Amino acid sequence: MVDKKQFLEAMKSRIGSIIDKKGRLYFEVADKQLSEVARYLFRTMGCRLSTATAMETYRGLEVLYHFSHDATGQYYCPRVIITDKNAPRVTSITPIVPGAEWIEREMAELLGIRFEGHPLPEKLLTRRHPGRLDRPLRLRRQP
Amino acid sequence: MGWYNKRLAKSLWVFHVSASPCNNCDIEILDLLTPRYDVERFGIKLVGSIRQADVLLVTGIINQKVAPYVRRLYKQAPRPVFVVGIGGCPASGCCFKESYNISPRGEEVIPIDLYIPGCPPKPEAMIDGIVRLIGVLRG
Amino acid sequence: MTKNVIPIGPFHPLLEEAEYFKLTVEGETVTDIEVDIGYMHRGHEFISERKTFTQSIFLVERICGICSTSHPLAFVHAVEDIDQTAVPVRAAYIRTLVGELERVHSHLLWLGLAGHFIGYDTLWMWAWKYRESILDMFEVISGNRNHYGIMRVGGVSRDVPADVIPGLAAVLDTVEGKMAMLAKAAADDPVLRSRLKGVGVLSRQAAVDYCATGPTARASGVAIDVRKDEPRDAYGWVEFKVIVLPNGDVYDKLVVRVLEILESIKIIRQCLDKLKTEPGPILNDVKEIPAGEGIGRYEAPRGEVFHYVRGDGSNRPVRHKVRAPSFMNIPTCAVSCKGIPLADALITLASVDPCYCCTERTIHVVDRRRRIRAVNLVELSRRKTERLRREIHG
Repeated sequence: MVDKKQFLEAMKSRIGSIIDKKGRLYFEVADKQLSEVARYLFRTMGCRLSTATAMETYRGLEVLYHFSHDATGQYYCPRVIITDKNAPRVTSITPIVPGAEWIEREMAELLGIRFEGHPLPEKLLTRRHPGRLDRPLRLRRQP
Repeated sequence: MGWYNKRLAKSLWVFHVSASPCNNCDIEILDLLTPRYDVERFGIKLVGSIRQADVLLVTGIINQKVAPYVRRLYKQAPRPVFVVGIGGCPASGCCFKESYNISPRGEEVIPIDLYIPGCPPKPEAMIDGIVRLIGVLRG
Repeated sequence: MTKNVIPIGPFHPLLEEAEYFKLTVEGETVTDIEVDIGYMHRGHEFISERKTFTQSIFLVERICGICSTSHPLAFVHAVEDIDQTAVPVRAAYIRTLVGELERVHSHLLWLGLAGHFIGYDTLWMWAWKYRESILDMFEVISGNRNHYGIMRVGGVSRDVPADVIPGLAAVLDTVEGKMAMLAKAAADDPVLRSRLKGVGVLSRQAAVDYCATGPTARASGVAIDVRKDEPRDAYGWVEFKVIVLPNGDVYDKLVVRVLEILESIKIIRQCLDKLKTEPGPILNDVKEIPAGEGIGRYEAPRGEVFHYVRGDGSNRPVRHKVRAPSFMNIPTCAVSCKGIPLADALITLASVDPCYCCTERTIHVVDRRRRIRAVNLVELSRRKTERLRREIHG
């Protein structure tokens, strides 16, 4: 069974700054390396994707995935920072993890992030919605 | 209509419209049918089709996606129909007042005749509300 | 073979939540399913950024009325995870007690609805009658039948005094006796077995791929349970088994839930025993939540509830992400509903126990040639039960 030390060794070249807390490992990943890391976590280590959180911060838009290693109770959370707030895009991990389909659709709808390679990029919660909801979780800041 | 209402009050058939609730009020409505409260002994029955309904039980905040369907249901219900808003949500929006998806509070989606507040209202409170409605119908 | 598209929903009498399923059928077999959600979307994550941490506890309770302990528990776990706040021992036992009572009441609710779909209305009435005694226990402990409002960051807000514990234990004895009787009746009934065995199978690989959780995954052989994987509160101090079954059909999902009720009653008894003698406070008064992020989760009756909270040192969350278990479990319907006869579609959709108890659906067949107007899925399901009963009992 691959544990946290082995994971950090194997993925050393792909991950950036790390926050290591009890049972939780948050680390930064560039968009190019995301598929490799996701594949390692999901297929090699057998982690389960709990969900993914997207939020808008001062650094840009952030997409944080939460992979749960159920055998040890440890969470691995790769974080992707997107600096282009006007046309944010991230590689989709749905081809690797089929369960991510609804999660990425929800993030796209509520924050306007485009997931490239997603098989069904349609709205999830506001399809056939009579009004027009424009990315409700984005902060509106006038420069 | 007064004569008709008196007869109606003997056996009200209800139709449940769940418009974005948290389900608690809906489960308490179903609880009314189970052996402890058992409203079927008063002639109150849950029906499957809107065409047979005398009373519409509306729960939830009626979000913007579901509002057109609720309006359509109200139009399809044969008159006379009475609308009862169950819970804090149809009355005031409860804790979801600031949501982006809630119907604007100034305009009415459908006219509501009776409010039964509570989060969720206890089954005894719901029976009390229905009894008041029956009292009004009887004149 | 002509394909017909059958839209289901979004409104129907016993429909707890509006949901729109689109089933494509060929003849009598379902070939595809499409789900349209969003009728319940109220924007919790948006509202949460405008409330304080304590106000958010009351807000997340109202995400779902049936799992109304799971969401506050996961939320306070997330806030406590930011800087590892400790919880007093007595509070841990009270939290576990309320959480397990909720599991019993939720599984009894599902059992009743499953009985209603198959045509066993007596099972519905009896399961909900015994559920009432559990709701009475909640009223004694917290003051309300649902939406208890007793979770706080750092503990709980109400204590369980020692003089109510014997009354609670007596109610548990009654419920356990009736549950054992219902379990035996369900196992002995040949009509139920032939109705549910082999129906709506979710393979183990599909359960892993779709990241299913809870009884949906455990009935397909995936042994995951947040209570054992990451024990918090009193789960590390009580003994219980995790029920895992291999087949993945609706019968296994029913058996998993029935056995889980019996396991939960064991846990509740252990908690009540400890609460008679365990001294101490029930709340660690937390003055400040530092900046940081936290992940909290809890094993709700339907699966793993996940909350992520990021704070910046003030008294409001900067970002609060909620993921209910049904979000991962409902897409598995796309796999388990393929190739099943239409009469079994309803019980298969309901077997993942969607957090919006999916109940009756009216279908309007969009086929002008056959001119079928409105077919009730419950009717189809009940007619199949009648037919099987005649075949088996003669």
